[in-house]
Amino acid sequence: MTARTDAARTAAASGELRRAGAALSQTVDRPAAAPRTWRADLGLIAWQVAYEQRSFWRNRTRAFFSAGLPIMLLLLFASLNSGGRIQQLHDIKYVTFFLPGIMAYGIIITQFVNMAGGLANQRDNGLLKRMRGTPLPGWAYVGGRVGSTALTSALMAVVMIVLGVAFFGVTLRAEAIPAIALTVLLGSAAFAALGMGAVLLIPNADAAPVVANVLILPLSFISGIWYPMTDAPTWLQDVAKVFPIQRLADALQTAFDPVNHSAAFAGGDLLVLAIWLVAGIRLAMVFWRRETAR
Amino acid sequence: MQEEAIRVEGLRKVYGDVEAVDGLTFSVAVGEVFCLLGPNGAGKTTTTEILEGYRARSGGDVRVLGRDPEHGERELRERVGIVLQEAAAQDELTVAEVLTMFGRYYPRRRAVDELVGLVGLTGNEGKRVKLLSGGQKRRLDLALALVGDPDLLFLDEPTTGFDPSARRQAWATIKDLCALGKTVFLTTHFMDEAQTLADRVAVMASGRLVAMGTPSEIGGRDTAPTEIPFPPPAAVGLADLPPIPDATVSEPAPGRVRIVAPTGLHASHAITGWALERGYDLRGYEVSQPSLEDVYLRLTENATALEAAR
Repeated sequence: MTARTDAARTAAASGELRRAGAALSQTVDRPAAAPRTWRADLGLIAWQVAYEQRSFWRNRTRAFFSAGLPIMLLLLFASLNSGGRIQQLHDIKYVTFFLPGIMAYGIIITQFVNMAGGLANQRDNGLLKRMRGTPLPGWAYVGGRVGSTALTSALMAVVMIVLGVAFFGVTLRAEAIPAIALTVLLGSAAFAALGMGAVLLIPNADAAPVVANVLILPLSFISGIWYPMTDAPTWLQDVAKVFPIQRLADALQTAFDPVNHSAAFAGGDLLVLAIWLVAGIRLAMVFWRRETAR
Repeated sequence: MQEEAIRVEGLRKVYGDVEAVDGLTFSVAVGEVFCLLGPNGAGKTTTTEILEGYRARSGGDVRVLGRDPEHGERELRERVGIVLQEAAAQDELTVAEVLTMFGRYYPRRRAVDELVGLVGLTGNEGKRVKLLSGGQKRRLDLALALVGDPDLLFLDEPTTGFDPSARRQAWATIKDLCALGKTVFLTTHFMDEAQTLADRVAVMASGRLVAMGTPSEIGGRDTAPTEIPFPPPAAVGLADLPPIPDATVSEPAPGRVRIVAPTGLHASHAITGWALERGYDLRGYEVSQPSLEDVYLRLTENATALEAAR
């Protein structure tokens, strides 16, 4: 390239610049700055939840299969074992045991596995890096993600309960509804936060499903989701009780157990879930600091 | 307002025992377009990402709009716009939705219709991000960086993948931003982009600054000798050429003559006078100053050779 052509290009470009400059001159006034308040910051989380929800439901295939899998499992197992009763658990209907278990499993799948996979993907494609470059605080992004998935799993839980009550004769006691709602929300939040933290262990998006399943599947077998753990050795039951999967399943099973007559808040389970939630949030913030800059 | 938008002093970044950035010092004035050039692996991206607040430095001092980017303060990010080399946006949302969403993060925000007009996406407001073409996504990147009406804009290879007219348009937008007093920190692989946009250019190689100056002066471009290459007429050898004061005459390839002279005017006069007298038409005759690209290649090759020799 010679100096002469450089000059010619510059001249040609600046011709265009002048034209576009005329178009921009109306926008020279700077937009007014909105004051920052804690209310506006809370509103930011609500908006994040709204946008996450919109994104989630627009991808219909993904939405259907991630929310649909636990529902399909429920229909399948409940139909296979319809009429079955479980002796170890004072002869309750199989489906009364299975519905809360599969609800727990559904929450874990949508929250933990999908969160870990989705985030690993968004980390690898640069979306998180872009978000990190904006003034959006980390807690607002984390809050938006967690809130949105909690909403999705609450909806899923409602659908499952309705199906269970309508078609499989599950009894839903009105006084247990607050306990169910609290457990679903607490469990969702805990697993969503833990799912974010789990991305710290996931080197790339391709590895996400494998890592997430290795973390979840073995534990789910000792956590009384698929079958009662009453015949398992005590030490194994004790190990399972350390982890949130057993706690979430147990808290929901307690609320659905027809033997219980009270509000059936499973205090111990909820406490352990709350501890995991706090740990999860800490891990999620570590994730935000460390992994969004890659 | 402070005079310097960016100040970097003795910046170092070490990965293991590799000095990715090794003692960088420069500053960028408010309202200036500053362009960082350098081959892949020179430390451009590391430097840019330290300034953007994505990476922590190993040594030296950095100030961006008077603040340390390492602290990642919200107040700083509210005044900075970043166009990353490669970054996805929310695929399932529409252009207007993404722009509105990002607008909520900033205390000052530009209206959606104004932004799409600015980057040339008018008419695509309702289109999902995943359906945009590659070039349209890059324009969205620029729009997203402008949402918060930033004082300082980081552009990392902003026109890669653009067709020529889209590039011209992007350049025009960037020039407009400067007219509004914005500071632009640019990295690019395109010399014409640096030539057109930059007030000042810095060339990096192997983690160091090897030259800095205006695009027309950098690396002694304005004072460098003039080159005159031409194919000699048939049966004319080097010995048949007229005497040219202070010039070196060489034959880099058969059928090519190259004259390098401190000033192009005298040499050119001697050659063209001689050719006219003898009736040669000298097709392919050129007089050239080294282009920005020539200077860039010389600077970076020298630096890389030096590095290899150490």
